[in-house]
Amino acid sequence: MPLLALDTSADIAVAVVDDAGTVLAERRVAEQRRHAELLAPLVVEALAAADVDRRALTGVVAGTGPAPFTGLRAGLVTARSLAFALGVPVHGVCSLDALAVQAYAAGAPADAEVVVVTDARRREVYTARYRLGADDVDVVDPPAVMRPEDLTPRDGTPPAVVVGPGLRVHADRLALTPPDGAPVVDAVDAGVLARLAVVRLGQGRSLPTEPLYLRRPDVMPAAARKRATG
Amino acid sequence: MADALVLGIETSCDETGVALVRVTDEGSELLTDVVASSMDEHARFGGIIPEIASRAHLEAMVPTLTRALEQADVDLSQVDAVAVTAGPGLVGPLTVGAAAAKALAVGLDRPLYGVNHVIGHAAVDELVHGAFPERVMALVVSGGHSSLLLVDDVATDVTELGHTLDDAAGEAFDKVGRLLGLPYPGGPHIDRLAREGDPTAIRFPRGLTAAKDQARHADDFSFSGLKTAVARWVEARQDAGQEIPLNDVAASFAAAVADVLTAKTIAACRRHDVDTLVIGGGFSANSQLRELAAERCAEAGITLRIPPIRYCTDNGAMIAALGAAVVRRGVAPSSLDLPVDSSMPLTQVTV
Ligand SMILES: [Zn+2]
Repeated sequence: MPLLALDTSADIAVAVVDDAGTVLAERRVAEQRRHAELLAPLVVEALAAADVDRRALTGVVAGTGPAPFTGLRAGLVTARSLAFALGVPVHGVCSLDALAVQAYAAGAPADAEVVVVTDARRREVYTARYRLGADDVDVVDPPAVMRPEDLTPRDGTPPAVVVGPGLRVHADRLALTPPDGAPVVDAVDAGVLARLAVVRLGQGRSLPTEPLYLRRPDVMPAAARKRATG
Repeated sequence: MADALVLGIETSCDETGVALVRVTDEGSELLTDVVASSMDEHARFGGIIPEIASRAHLEAMVPTLTRALEQADVDLSQVDAVAVTAGPGLVGPLTVGAAAAKALAVGLDRPLYGVNHVIGHAAVDELVHGAFPERVMALVVSGGHSSLLLVDDVATDVTELGHTLDDAAGEAFDKVGRLLGLPYPGGPHIDRLAREGDPTAIRFPRGLTAAKDQARHADDFSFSGLKTAVARWVEARQDAGQEIPLNDVAASFAAAVADVLTAKTIAACRRHDVDTLVIGGGFSANSQLRELAAERCAEAGITLRIPPIRYCTDNGAMIAALGAAVVRRGVAPSSLDLPVDSSMPLTQVTV
């Protein structure tokens, strides 16, 4: 009963996992722009490498961001359309949740909170704060978009472990810095995304695939009419 | 591939279009054509906002596919090929449609065809009036395009003779609509006013029709000079404190556009010895263009084919129709990594 999971919140990540959450095959491309071109071929490759027929898939899992819009949409519309074609359900998992799980797996102390930081472009970051739960992470601060300077330590709580691909990009402007020896988590692992979906589905939760845009669309209101004669 | 079922997906602007076309040896038959539009969300901004359109495409994609299949009483597994707009158009919206089409092609294990939107505006007429004769002229006019195409084979051999050097015809209507204080999109409002006005009341200029332009720009169009002439005329009246005869301005402006489009197109038909003209694109809804084209084609002995208006605006049927033509012709499918191209050349039918 394999699942296909994909994430396009930054890199392109695809994984095929079995129902125990074991990764059968995965593909990742560190490419921030051509998601819509590269994703479908990676899905085909991952299925072939896992030796899984597409008709054997029992579900599709997609990272719902937050992420720059065009790449995120390419992932979500791919997941929804593929699931539709296969007649199987599609599930959404916040991409930052996967990064937090990866941080604990990579050695963040179980009693520490994890702050995930990713690049939101336009000199901003997407961020969320977590603590370790039973088979999952618990959200302390839900995903938000902000300037790196505004992400500050909190009074009265132990220092958090800060992870995520946004660290590299915004290091000079972040007030929060990873402590020495903190785990490095640089990219969403689509296998983790799939395992989170399995855990949450087991709890009877529904997992919508609504995109986490966190920003309103830029709109250019119609310009006031200019006079042709001056 | 005889007797194949082609699914077409269109997302180049603000409409999410899905259609199913059956290909047989006799021709192409439209089974269903479903469109979801986000136009209401754009109207208050006075133009299409690409990000709003892209978000709407994502939300509309699976529901629109579902409705199309239900209406045609077809199971997705019966689809033999997937066609999608690869360009030209807005990158964000194009990307959503292309990604969806690829996922369907992977999920169904069927070939994918990335096709040209503007050529689709011509191809859709095959669903209405039957297969094209050996050679047709196509005038594609809308808010985004004004192109003159010589079509030797709609699946493999299209030549772009000319295009607008500045505004598209529909765009010029929207801009003149704005300067006359009409709501966006202005085209239908001008058309309505123009029917009450005198098209000969004001002599507005006809762009690129002077003898000196015939050498280099015989098949090209230009509407920005016309738009400026209308603005000057209206402003001069306003400055003199006179009332603006909206009906006459609209009728005279629309007459200038229709005159240039039809005169140049028919001259091109004569020059290339073509006796069938297809007009497509949303602007072919314009009543002066339709009337003048009918009159001048009749005089010139040219058969005029204009599909009903619902097939002239952006829709899935035009993409399924072109996909069907390409499948019938045995053209090689596109690669799964096909990129979208916002300025896809009009000589390129498929990717
Ligand atoms: Zn169009």
